[in-house]
Amino acid sequence: MHEALPLAAAASPARHIDRLGLAMRASHVLAALFVIFCLLFAFLAWRAGDVFYLRLATEALIFAGLALSVDILLGYTGLLSLGQALYFGLGAYVSALALRAGISFGGTLAIVFVISIATSLIGGVIVNRVRGVYFALITFGMAQVVAKVVYNTRELGASDGLIGVPIVPIDLGFVSTSSASPAGFFLFTLVFITLIYLAVAYLLDTPFGRILIALKANERRVPFLGYRPFTVRLVAYVIAGVTAALAGALYPMLRGFVSPELLFFTTSGNAVITVVTGGAGTLIGPLYGSLLLTALRSFVGSWTTHHLMVIGVLFMAVVVFFPKGLVGFVRIRLEHLFERLLEDRR
Amino acid sequence: MLDYLQFVLAPQMVTGLSLGVAVVLVALGLTIIFGLLDIINMSHGEFYAVGAYLALSLGALGINFWLLLLLVPALMIPIGFAVERGLIQRVFNSPDRHVATLLLTFGLGIVLEDVLSLIYGPNTQRPSTPIRGAVEIFGIMLPNYRLFLIVFGLLIVAAVALVVYRTRLGAMVRAAAYDRNMAASLGVPVKAVFAGAFAFGIALAGLAGVLLAPIYSVFPTMGRDFILLAFTVVIVGGMGSIVGAVAAGLGLTQIQAISSLYISPVWSDPIVFGILVVVLMLRPQGLFGRLGRA
Amino acid sequence: MVRRNLFAALPLAILLASPAATGARAADPIKIGVDTPITGTYAPIGQQVRWGLDLATKEVNAAGGIMGWQIQLIYEDEEANASVAVQKADKLFQVDKVDFLTGTVNSGSTLAVGQLAERAGKLIATTVSFADSITGDKCSPNVFRVNARAEQQSAALAAWLAKDKPNAKVYSLGPDYEMGRSTVAAFQKGVKERGGTNLGEVFAPLDSKDYTQYFGQIRAARPQVLYTSVAGNDTVRLLTQMQDFGLLNNMLIVGASGTVTSQNITAMGSAADGFVTGVGYSPQIDTPENKKFVEAFRAEFNTDPDLFAADSYGLIYFYKAAVEKAGSTETDKVRTAMRGLEWPTPQGTKTMRAGDHQAVQKMYVVRVDKGKFNIIGEVPGDQAIGPVTCTRW
Repeated sequence: MHEALPLAAAASPARHIDRLGLAMRASHVLAALFVIFCLLFAFLAWRAGDVFYLRLATEALIFAGLALSVDILLGYTGLLSLGQALYFGLGAYVSALALRAGISFGGTLAIVFVISIATSLIGGVIVNRVRGVYFALITFGMAQVVAKVVYNTRELGASDGLIGVPIVPIDLGFVSTSSASPAGFFLFTLVFITLIYLAVAYLLDTPFGRILIALKANERRVPFLGYRPFTVRLVAYVIAGVTAALAGALYPMLRGFVSPELLFFTTSGNAVITVVTGGAGTLIGPLYGSLLLTALRSFVGSWTTHHLMVIGVLFMAVVVFFPKGLVGFVRIRLEHLFERLLEDRR
Repeated sequence: MLDYLQFVLAPQMVTGLSLGVAVVLVALGLTIIFGLLDIINMSHGEFYAVGAYLALSLGALGINFWLLLLLVPALMIPIGFAVERGLIQRVFNSPDRHVATLLLTFGLGIVLEDVLSLIYGPNTQRPSTPIRGAVEIFGIMLPNYRLFLIVFGLLIVAAVALVVYRTRLGAMVRAAAYDRNMAASLGVPVKAVFAGAFAFGIALAGLAGVLLAPIYSVFPTMGRDFILLAFTVVIVGGMGSIVGAVAAGLGLTQIQAISSLYISPVWSDPIVFGILVVVLMLRPQGLFGRLGRA
Repeated sequence: MVRRNLFAALPLAILLASPAATGARAADPIKIGVDTPITGTYAPIGQQVRWGLDLATKEVNAAGGIMGWQIQLIYEDEEANASVAVQKADKLFQVDKVDFLTGTVNSGSTLAVGQLAERAGKLIATTVSFADSITGDKCSPNVFRVNARAEQQSAALAAWLAKDKPNAKVYSLGPDYEMGRSTVAAFQKGVKERGGTNLGEVFAPLDSKDYTQYFGQIRAARPQVLYTSVAGNDTVRLLTQMQDFGLLNNMLIVGASGTVTSQNITAMGSAADGFVTGVGYSPQIDTPENKKFVEAFRAEFNTDPDLFAADSYGLIYFYKAAVEKAGSTETDKVRTAMRGLEWPTPQGTKTMRAGDHQAVQKMYVVRVDKGKFNIIGEVPGDQAIGPVTCTRW
């Protein structure tokens, strides 16, 4: 339903904020709440001298980055990727190798950025030949091939993965911390993921993003606007790939190792569960979803050995009863609120 | 040279064939569900496991294996019917049916696997082989049960193809798959047909469970075993195509058998997934067309 | 919170002046974290680990605990996934404040959790992982191993093979992961040193459906002996499929110690008969200590213990002995106490080698006959264990 709107909105330029802008604003309000909540949590945890919950939350944020990348594809191009762990794992392995070679924090991120652009361009050319359900399957197949190659390569630690990733100092000029500081690294990750969120939100709010959404709604009309659908989709795919890789690059800094499980289907599948639970197409939903599911897994896992059942049932319930996800459910209500406020002003 | 052919290559291809038939049996239900309902059933592997466990439990009660071949699929039909009506239909008409049903069945698979481990515990169990002994062909032992599986498996596939392509019931189902509104206006009970087709696919998964349990043994995570290969077979063969599933199933397992001989078993999985990616790139609809469309 | 409890309880502990409690800890129980696979493919191994630890803990607690402290086990499911294992270990260390940690099964998890323990200043021990690297080139001052590593098992088995089938031609089939490659390499080395011939090896992916795919290579090589280190469900498939195809008739099957266990032996039936392995434990060990252990285990869990259960059971007594020797649960003191420690287990006395934190124990050669693990040979501990290769301390 949303999808048809941008074109209608474009037809009436008199109205300053269209429906899509409203939705994005609602997401930003939720994002601000998210950051405030995280800061509050960080302060309380730091006061209590906590280590575990800060690191767990950092991990949740890192996997939120992966989920965000799935959402770029699912929410904005309507394509479900079942193999996004490919780029997440790539980022993690490249980062681990670079850090082990003694390369600095900034240098490592730069290397991951460059390599992820190159690989997601190649991957994008392969997978964007197909659409719909075939896209889900081809991304799945490609991730399986790469995961198996890493699993079989002794130089990459094979099934054991790589340990011994050193603790890395993070110097941002005005402030410095280290990957070993639970609160410091949590705050850094929060800033990092928030920046990725803002960058992606900005990109999707530009005309490019509008075209993406138009493409999702009506494939045939876009070429008349002067864009090649293939190029537009490829750019979206690369943005998603780079997002996943940058998030993945933080993983070995936090945990000190990488293992091939990061590339497996379980990782991609969990990201999809996170996006759907949080709300596809909201960008902020994956972040909430990741925190929620990580907390749930951690608590339920300590109670019962059958935590999979709990997660599975919850997930099915969301798919059936909240097709727009938990955050999507809230966001629509926020949008309506904004709409009323706008109308009152007019 | 002849020696090598006789003792290494030929037996390798025959065992590859028996694995191929096993994969086709699992893929058969999958491809029918996709071809008719446009649903990727991610929980298919777990239904295969449910069939195997049902066979194990009922076999422990003393029920004969040959009876189980009928009884287990019969028990799976109401389960499949209930899942289609109770779960799938809830999201069947959502704007993105593929994604919604894929996700729903993905969740269902996770739950089913955990339920099985809750009921049966984590250990491996194995029903005894119903047909014992082996025959010697050209100096190579071939277990009778494997030979039975190859023949019986192919018979089942042929029977299913016959029902789908050559009967009035099949025509109704294909009509519903092709254009549900048109079919409905012609008096085809579309809802019942869809639920029935889903239940039929699930029953086939259960049947595969009964047939394969003596060879591959039974444990809660067994559903993950075949499902990746079965998906690959369904995609490469063309989703919804029974002929395609047979061709791809037998072809890919031969490629695996030969490549594990000449390259390494370690690389046989990446090779098969590589083929999947290449086929999707060049011919996304698969090597054979779709059911209802062809 | 725990810190505050500790200070609050401090005067009380001094007042009570239990001779052992030197004021370092309160009367809270000693907590041992168990980070083990409870779901997934490795769940059967995790179950034996749990049973072994539970039984020993019950016994120790009933007998007054460790220097008056009761033991409390805290479980987490690591899903045999290193990422999950590390996250759960972090929780056990930081939230539950465990004094010691064990339970990891696959070598990736053990190595990653070992590194976490090193950074957190805690000690861990594995009771399952075989991979030589854990107490070899990837050793850690905070990681101990109480079970026999691949090299010990292989040395025992190869020595028996050289005596029973001199100059045997051997083919190896391992699972494609580090533990599998490590065991195959160790056994091939043992065979070569004792005059046997290695015809080749094949590695099969974990959870292989159909091992008949690999029979081609095996037939082509025409070996007299097949060595395998697959485990769990995989062994069931491998051995039953070999039986179906008549490959068991004129080939001796030998393997790693986790290949045939009391968890999967019933599913295999007669296909497991004749399988020979070098192993650190068998329920048939004829000592009063083991008989007592097996009896108690059967009474509690209604099944036989396997090596994972026995080694996990022994671990509790290892930790108890170390804490009693150290008079404390502090990491540095316990580590010093653990080095060179000798302690009793159902398998006989084990010694923790100081140079690489690898337990030295008598090794057994065991043959499966009608579901029983009969002992057909023994190798003294010092002959089975290789030289120290760890160079970190």
